[in-house]
Amino acid sequence: MNDQTNVKFRLNNSELWGGLIGLALGGFVIWSGLKLKLGTINDPGSGYVLFYTGILMCAFAVSIIVAAITEGGATFASRWQNVRWGKPVVVIVCLTAFAFALEPLGFLLSAIPLMLLLLRLIDPVRWSLAIPIAILAPLGMWWVLKHLLAIQLPNGMFEIG
Amino acid sequence: MDTLLNVAHGLGVALQPVNLIYCFIGVFIGTLVGVLPGIGPISAMSLLLPVTLSGTPESGIIMMAGIYYGSMYGGSTTSILVNIPGEAASVVTCIDGHQMAKQGRAGPALGISAFGSFIAGTFALIALMLVAPSLASVAVAFGPAEYFSLMVLGLVVLTFLTQGSMAKALLMACIGVVLGLVGLDSITAQPRLTFGRLELIDGIGLVPVVMGLFGVAEVLLNTEQAIKRDIIKTKISQLLPSKEDWKASAGPVSRGTVLGFFLGILPGGGAVVASFASYALEKRLSKHPARFGHGAIEGVAGPESANNSAAGGAFIPLMTLGIPPNVVMALLLGAFVIHGLQPGPLLISQNPTLFWGIVASMYIGNLMLLVLNLPMIGMWVQLLRLPYNVLFPLIILFTIIGVYCSSNNVFDVYVMIAFGVIGYFMRKLGYEPAPLVLAFVLGPMLENNLRKSLILSQGDLTTFVERPISAVCLALAVVLLVGPLLPSLRRKRELVALDEGA
Repeated sequence: MNDQTNVKFRLNNSELWGGLIGLALGGFVIWSGLKLKLGTINDPGSGYVLFYTGILMCAFAVSIIVAAITEGGATFASRWQNVRWGKPVVVIVCLTAFAFALEPLGFLLSAIPLMLLLLRLIDPVRWSLAIPIAILAPLGMWWVLKHLLAIQLPNGMFEIG
Repeated sequence: MDTLLNVAHGLGVALQPVNLIYCFIGVFIGTLVGVLPGIGPISAMSLLLPVTLSGTPESGIIMMAGIYYGSMYGGSTTSILVNIPGEAASVVTCIDGHQMAKQGRAGPALGISAFGSFIAGTFALIALMLVAPSLASVAVAFGPAEYFSLMVLGLVVLTFLTQGSMAKALLMACIGVVLGLVGLDSITAQPRLTFGRLELIDGIGLVPVVMGLFGVAEVLLNTEQAIKRDIIKTKISQLLPSKEDWKASAGPVSRGTVLGFFLGILPGGGAVVASFASYALEKRLSKHPARFGHGAIEGVAGPESANNSAAGGAFIPLMTLGIPPNVVMALLLGAFVIHGLQPGPLLISQNPTLFWGIVASMYIGNLMLLVLNLPMIGMWVQLLRLPYNVLFPLIILFTIIGVYCSSNNVFDVYVMIAFGVIGYFMRKLGYEPAPLVLAFVLGPMLENNLRKSLILSQGDLTTFVERPISAVCLALAVVLLVGPLLPSLRRKRELVALDEGA
């Protein structure tokens, strides 16, 4: 890693941010443990293990932060250098949209567009192949689950499926 | 004599037509996911976890076990023919296996890999039959302090062996423990970290977490790069290794088998560590180490035997102590729990049919795998030509359906997608998911045993060091935690550190 990608004090040091997120999570876990009551060492309460795990998390996060400051760490940009970072973003957006559509639209009406989008957007599959796969794969799975395994997938407000 | 009777009893169970079918499905799917890069035994097992509900416990667990050891066989095919490891334990096979294939020796490479795997798998089973009952009888005397310390050791070993910073791996393990504690407290029934969501009262499901972190995150990572495949195009013939090949491979197969078995038993160890360790050992013992990396058959025979032997050995801590030594075994524990069974010291005595049935089925499964991976190698080669741009959307569809079927709950699909995205960013920032998942499974048991120990000892912490087994486990854990601070040990750790993904 060269000097441009390995930075110490700058805000784009990804190691530093990783450690800070860990520290924040550790703080939250400690707070949750305290809220749930620690109990005593003779009779540990519901928050006992959470509290001490939170302390350990903070300790490890601090060690990551110290290493990030003293030894430096890769920048965010370098982590996504020379890769097609747009592709995972597209998949994440599609999956998020699918998650929102699943209950209101049902499995079939949300899975078919999801498949079509993924087939066309990751590394475009030709339309003549993408359309049949996008329709037949969810339909086939739905049929097997419903008729052979008696599992009902969400059918949404239109009650399709 | 008792063991032979038990084996005969187990064969009676394993040879029932329904169990033979489940065993075949398991090893077939195992080989399939082993061959296909981007989907490993962890994703496949979590996908099929709900399917185990439809049959008897024996059938379901026979199938799940088949997926695991089947994937060890299948992974080598992709490594040898395409130079892409089908699953993590076959990474090291790429080095010499693909070179052999390039030199026109793909057949012997595949052959020695399958035969070595068969020999190692058979040895591991015999050892499992002999060791497990004895260990189980000792483990009956284990108290909560021993269990707590063993679990701590397991987590520390895994974090020690995880690639990259140990602080990151330990942080992941802590997050895993916290996630495992979400839901009702098993002692006081108080809801913890549920944020008022009813879906979280029973805790976060193992399947959505694993499918997200390993299935979805793996697909997201793979979409970043246009994967180029260098499939060997020549016809594969002469699968049987020659006399010289056998002579060169005999030592590596034997050593890999023994080494793999012991590394498989270790909590936190497993097939991946075993394959790397075997490769390093063979290179060190070789009279011509320079041949390694240029098509040495020893570099295929040793690691492939070691990873199969380790897959068998990994069943010992799960079956006798109820402690899963790695993520795959954690999923198998999930399958046991789904059927209301608790693996541990009493499993063999209380459910002999189940234990010996699984063991016998593994032997039958190994025979099936030999047939699937040698005469039918052409079928798997054809499968390697399946384009990734079709495969990845299908994997996502299967994961969504698998997660939904595990609980009939849309919330779990959201959890899986969330963990998929988190897993992707974790991997990008160098945080491995394996310690998180193992800690997620062990977390509730760890807490339970810690609290029980403290209550029983009336808050006396010396209970953990006064009991010899507990003291040894904790001492080993401390050595592994402090070890990386010493430069020489840190270098050694970096050599054996591994990516447990996929």
